[in-house]
Amino acid sequence: MWRFLGTRIAMGAFTIWITTILVTLLIHAVPGDPVQIMYAQSQGTTPEQIEEVRRSLGLDRSIPVQYLMYMERLLQGDLGATIRGGQPVLEVILQRLPNTLLLACAAMFIAILIGVPIGFLAAYREGTLTDIALMIIAIAGISMPHFWLGLMLLFFFALELGWLPVSGNGWLNLVLPALTLGLSNAAIFARLTRSSMIDVMSQDYVQTAFAKGLPKALVLRRHVLRAGLLPVVTMMGLQFAFMMGGAIVVENIFSWNGVGRMAVEAIFQRDYPLIQGFILTFSVVVVFVAIVIDALYAVLDPRIRRS
Amino acid sequence: MNTSTHQDGPRAAPGFLRRLLRSPSGAIGLAIVLLLIFCALFAEMLAPYNPAKMGAGGRFLPPGGDHLLGTDEFGRDLFSRILFGSRITLLIGAVAVGISLTIGMAVGMIAAFRRGWIEAILMRSTDVLFSFTETLIALSFVAVLGPSLQNAVIAVGVAGIPFYARTCYAAALVETSKSYFEASISAGAGPARLVLVHLLPNVLPTMIVVATLGVSTAILAAAGLSFLGLGAQPPTSEWGYMLAGSRDYINRAPWLMTIPGIAIAVTVLGFNLLGDGLRTSLDPVERK
Repeated sequence: MWRFLGTRIAMGAFTIWITTILVTLLIHAVPGDPVQIMYAQSQGTTPEQIEEVRRSLGLDRSIPVQYLMYMERLLQGDLGATIRGGQPVLEVILQRLPNTLLLACAAMFIAILIGVPIGFLAAYREGTLTDIALMIIAIAGISMPHFWLGLMLLFFFALELGWLPVSGNGWLNLVLPALTLGLSNAAIFARLTRSSMIDVMSQDYVQTAFAKGLPKALVLRRHVLRAGLLPVVTMMGLQFAFMMGGAIVVENIFSWNGVGRMAVEAIFQRDYPLIQGFILTFSVVVVFVAIVIDALYAVLDPRIRRS
Repeated sequence: MNTSTHQDGPRAAPGFLRRLLRSPSGAIGLAIVLLLIFCALFAEMLAPYNPAKMGAGGRFLPPGGDHLLGTDEFGRDLFSRILFGSRITLLIGAVAVGISLTIGMAVGMIAAFRRGWIEAILMRSTDVLFSFTETLIALSFVAVLGPSLQNAVIAVGVAGIPFYARTCYAAALVETSKSYFEASISAGAGPARLVLVHLLPNVLPTMIVVATLGVSTAILAAAGLSFLGLGAQPPTSEWGYMLAGSRDYINRAPWLMTIPGIAIAVTVLGFNLLGDGLRTSLDPVERK
């Protein structure tokens, strides 16, 4: 188990290291002069000021030197300053990251709460009308763009019915964005749970348990549920990454003050230090969550725990 | 299920279409996709108005009457815009999946065929890229290249490469371990013959399914970027972009929000159903 986790942690650290390299190279991939582009919107920037920015970003050095400078600052917790406003990037991101994580976790909770029981029910009634109906709903749910679902929920619950606020950052404001993100992912969980449960139910040991005449509920609880949920747990890491990606869109619909909304603004404003910080933060969060999920998986699956 | 699965692959072609149409999801999916292709090809003939013409009718006319789906804030005919949008949407799906598929398949097959350090480098980099998630790759690309529909499509295409490479690698690896493949090596087949005659046709069914399902993912991702303003720019009648514009008139003209959304959902559903249908009709295990 420790070996399994060690490999995963090493792989995660490697991914983050590659990200730091890509993030440094990112600014050089911009067609044209990034400093000119960044300041294109503000009039009256003198050539001297532009040179000053170029120096402060280290863009007048060679790429390897730039990378070392970037890493040196990074290890001191310094991600640079935003182009607009000159605030420390790390501070700007840390201010909003909790909002995004809160949204992603709430959405994950909703997705599992709705998706797993539906998948379980469909598997239990495999081939019946219930199963077919549930799976039609699931494929429709997967096909629905979450930005559209968000707009529809906003229209009905906030504007037509007036039950929930349109935007803001209170607890009630969390309901609609979390539902938007959660519902579209619930369908994925439902499909996965169903196929995994059906797979387990056809295993010899489950068939034997049924043949022994054990009550169905007992077999399901003791033999099917745990094994059938393992692939669902594995998928949670990937799903969380999806949620973080989906949050970028959903935050913009509901004006939820998270890193996703910040990232889109940064792209519009060509605020490269902020974009770099966002990419780095995003991959650290995704890698960290993936490792936590792997650890959970290792605890749940005796085949890995005892190896 | 018979034991010689790889033999009845290419030869089973005529029965394949029959099986596809017999599964409800395959038949419905195929019908939706064909309808979309029809709309995209004949948009000029089908559309009652020029999609970009402002003042084709009054502003914010509700659906019905002269304008089947109503008009938007500039008095443009929504039905015509949706029809022309189908062309853009299908093109987005095709180009993005084309990029992911060709590069992904090349990477996957080379890794499975060459093995050794080439395999290690290719597949480890794929793993790293995969853990970045498609959204982050696409967003980084747009951040570098700047917002435009073309850049959004490239971004979505590139973002999909790791997934296609992994899937193709797994499928190709299974083939290289089969006895016919080893026999072919012993018989002196060169690398070109091994890859093109044995590997490619046998990974193709899997990749066709993945690509069909991938069209829906790509369309959703590109529409999402356009919705954020990072993809299609005005006056394109791209559906995601149209949805974004509808937000300002959500109370006054809710149809501007519902209709492009339904268009995207139906398109994505069509490709999802077709992909599901193809999987059951191409997969020898599910075929039984």
